[in-house]
Amino acid sequence: MFEAALEGLIGVLQPEAFMFMCLGVAIGSLVGFLPGIGGPSTLAIMLPFVMTMKDPLLVIALLVGLDAVGNTASAFTSILISVPGSSGSQATILDGHPMAKNGEGARALSASFVASLLGGIFGALVLFASLPILRPLVLSFSSPEFFILTLWGVSMVGILSGNAPIKGLLAGILGVFISTVGLDAKSGVERFAFNVSYLWEGIDLVLVALGIFAIPEVIDLAGRKGTIAKAEEFGRGYVQGIIDVFTHWWLLLRTSIIGVWVGFLPGLGSSVADWFAYAHAVQTEKNRENFGRGDVRGVIASEGSNNAKEGGDYIPTLAFGIPGGTSSALVLTAFIAVGIKPGPDMLTSQLNLTFAVIWTLVIANIIATAICMVFARPIAKICFMPFYAIVPPIVAFVFIGAFAANFHNYDLLGLMMFSSLGFFMRRYGWPRAPLVLGMVLGDKMELYLWLSYTRYGFEWLARPAVIVLIILLLASVLYPIYTSKRRAAALPAED
Amino acid sequence: MTRGREAIFFTAFITLVMLAALWVAKDWPVRAAIIIFLLGGLGVVLAAVQLFKDYRAIHAEGVGIVRPTFEVAAIEHEGKWGSLEIWAWLWGLYFAIHLIGFPIALPLFVFAYVKFYGGGWLTAIVLTALTWGFLYGIYDYLLHVPWPKPWLSAVLPW
Repeated sequence: MFEAALEGLIGVLQPEAFMFMCLGVAIGSLVGFLPGIGGPSTLAIMLPFVMTMKDPLLVIALLVGLDAVGNTASAFTSILISVPGSSGSQATILDGHPMAKNGEGARALSASFVASLLGGIFGALVLFASLPILRPLVLSFSSPEFFILTLWGVSMVGILSGNAPIKGLLAGILGVFISTVGLDAKSGVERFAFNVSYLWEGIDLVLVALGIFAIPEVIDLAGRKGTIAKAEEFGRGYVQGIIDVFTHWWLLLRTSIIGVWVGFLPGLGSSVADWFAYAHAVQTEKNRENFGRGDVRGVIASEGSNNAKEGGDYIPTLAFGIPGGTSSALVLTAFIAVGIKPGPDMLTSQLNLTFAVIWTLVIANIIATAICMVFARPIAKICFMPFYAIVPPIVAFVFIGAFAANFHNYDLLGLMMFSSLGFFMRRYGWPRAPLVLGMVLGDKMELYLWLSYTRYGFEWLARPAVIVLIILLLASVLYPIYTSKRRAAALPAED
Repeated sequence: MTRGREAIFFTAFITLVMLAALWVAKDWPVRAAIIIFLLGGLGVVLAAVQLFKDYRAIHAEGVGIVRPTFEVAAIEHEGKWGSLEIWAWLWGLYFAIHLIGFPIALPLFVFAYVKFYGGGWLTAIVLTALTWGFLYGIYDYLLHVPWPKPWLSAVLPW
């Protein structure tokens, strides 16, 4: 394992890989502090570019670097203008923005950057520590267990990525259906292609991801128009913010653990991690009367957890090939496209690549924090770019990216169709992450189901590990529905 | 039409997709249809439940409530045209690409969009140049992407 760790480190420190990591960090930071452009949208835009790469290390450096730091820079807008740069920094607003209003914007920013850095490194360390435990577990699994796991992944994301569990499950099923479009190599049947030769190869995930995520964000950004609110003062207390994080190290550690756990559970994204961590801080800390009015502990809790979540997110992604959320689903897609095989291989023959992911998480966080700390003042100014300077370049990238999927005119038509689907899904409160995840896992799910059936008939349902997994699946699907029903029933009484 | 009523139509559309998938897959061999039958059957039941929930929400609340998802808030637009404006830009770009080709349509779109919404000349020119540079530098020069022939290629000088 030590050799693989060293190999991974040397790999990501090679000049080319390091350059790509810096590029990923720069892009991740940029989209982090531009409200309206989330990490998944950017990853979707990047997919067509990275899929042309040959070296898996470069893809890891670029995408994991990008994915790891989005929440670090998003604190800029959360704190300065009360607009979350990403969904993972919503809770930061509660105390970060009042601090900015009180003239302590710099203190809130430095505290958030250092908390993000330490949280991010903690997440990577947990990923590292989990390897010896995961390896025997993953290697003991066979096709029936993997089928239930893929089903569990899609169900969990469907249930938990929105407050509409049925819509989430339907979106996941729709994603699996989309993954079946094209000629089935095993049976030779043309599935949902309707004699259109363009569809024989299947629908490119790039088109779906761009349409489902990127265009609806652009529509939202363009629809809101205008420049974002007036800037607050940058404020004082830059060094104090750094000291604050170390003073409240125990809170940071606890909220980082929450972040890792939320990341590990499929379906719970960073938008949940920061709220859980913030709620935990408010519940457990002493002298809590200042929370919500500019307490630095609120910033530390939120920012520590949302970066720690990334490390946790990669545990199921790498070990089982089941992404924990949208971003890791898109990263997984790129990994598969360049020959990285998440699953048992990542813990055996490709262990060096797993370590490359871990090292990238650590180094990317350090670089992002350094950039944010050093260039805080000039970066803060970029937050206030008007929508008309942001929308057209993104649209241009999206159209080029979509065309690059197959270099076919139908790619653009597909983009427009999936953009419409994404727009309506967002408009009517349908979670979109399960659709992409269903599409990513659809092939595997089908293969594992067929292998289980042909090898074991229906006996595979009686395997002990399968029974345990089915119980866990049912519990994780039914429990949130039950609690949401109970909450809904309690609402009128509260009123 | 209220958002709640619109939402029902979308759910009905998803239900139809599920039903259509099952209908189409009924003639396939088991190997090709197994996943569709397994998930499609479940999907139809879930879609029916969702339809019922949407219907009940409209009648319970009068207008129907669309609760935002965890991941992002549902799109809410104000003004006369709402989201139609940006959709018009997107479809305009789509047809412009087919009419005059990628290398002209994209920079033109960027320039027109910035100027239409009151951006300065400098912003418009810099963004247009960057877009063209990206398009030409990466895709044309480095990757030699075969751009599709525009419909107006017979009358265009390029």
